[in-house]
Amino acid sequence: MSSDPERFRAQVAALQSALDAGDAAGFRHAFEALCGQMDAGLLPELKRITATAQSALARFSAEARLDVLAGHEVPDARKRLTHVVKLTDEAAHRTMDLVDSCGPLVDEASRGSAMLLESWDSYGERDLAVAALWPERAATFLHRTRADSELLRANLSELLVAQGYQDITGQIIRSVIALVDELEKVLGKLVCIADGHEVTGMQRALPSQPDWQRGLGPQIAGISNGDAVSGQDDIDALLSQMAADK
Amino acid sequence: MSSTVKFLVVDDFSTMRRIVKNLLQELGYNDITEADDGNTALPLLKAGSFDVLITDWNMPGMPGIDLLKAVRADAKLAKLPVLMLTAEAKREQIVEAVQAGASGYVIKPFTAVTLKEKLDKMLAARAAA
Repeated sequence: MSSDPERFRAQVAALQSALDAGDAAGFRHAFEALCGQMDAGLLPELKRITATAQSALARFSAEARLDVLAGHEVPDARKRLTHVVKLTDEAAHRTMDLVDSCGPLVDEASRGSAMLLESWDSYGERDLAVAALWPERAATFLHRTRADSELLRANLSELLVAQGYQDITGQIIRSVIALVDELEKVLGKLVCIADGHEVTGMQRALPSQPDWQRGLGPQIAGISNGDAVSGQDDIDALLSQMAADK
Repeated sequence: MSSTVKFLVVDDFSTMRRIVKNLLQELGYNDITEADDGNTALPLLKAGSFDVLITDWNMPGMPGIDLLKAVRADAKLAKLPVLMLTAEAKREQIVEAVQAGASGYVIKPFTAVTLKEKLDKMLAARAAA
């Protein structure tokens, strides 16, 4: 295989002789051969530069994303999970408080019916002094049981609503799962780049904006989602104001 | 009369659907159908004669706001009372929901009293219309 200078010399000679002979076709042929050789020399170099640039870009976008994830979204995720612990803790206590408050109501119903049964049984045994207590005891028992049943029903209703924490915490945990998933992908890509493998599909160079049309999930203290309401009263005020402005 | 009101409850969390369903039953409403997102809810709405739609916002598939818009865009469903029951708390979102035609907006976590109050208000407005 001849070296580049020797090849060039032969090609320049061919050009010269075609020129001297006035051979246009020969000249074009020799010229294309010369250009072709120059391209062939350049191409590998060009490829190498492009690959380096591509891998630098991929690395940059992976690192930029990792920066956002590590600097911003991971600390947010910590706050989210801390909030989940708080919500589950509150819900468990609320549930147990309600169970605790139901206990005495049931106990009272049990005590009242035991007393009534005692008077009832005494009637059969002709203990008229105890049996005479029946109407009063029955009236007291019925009034009390009716009131306590309402309390019991209200407590059961609150017990039910307290389980709503599962929806709220579920939404928060899902958002953290999505973050862990992305973290895994970005780290995987960085490992690939470090190992010299070609990286494809590194599309998400920038953090995606939270899409409130799809829903942002529950509000969490310390994580700003923009201008949020503080509760139902705040919403009701906003709605009344909108109705008034119409 | 209340027992004749037909509800569709849409939420991706089955626990929340169960809570809402139980609360409605306590209020005397027994005709309750469930769906887990807008995509499953919309055909049910179009096929059935529902009186009230209660929907979450943040759901996979079709979110609640898109379901609301689809309902309002459908001539047959345009007047259906729609209650948003969601943890979404951004002012921008609440304004968007109201402008899209939400009849009420209840933020999670909510109380049984709040739900009853908003439902009563919606049903009274529906009866007056």
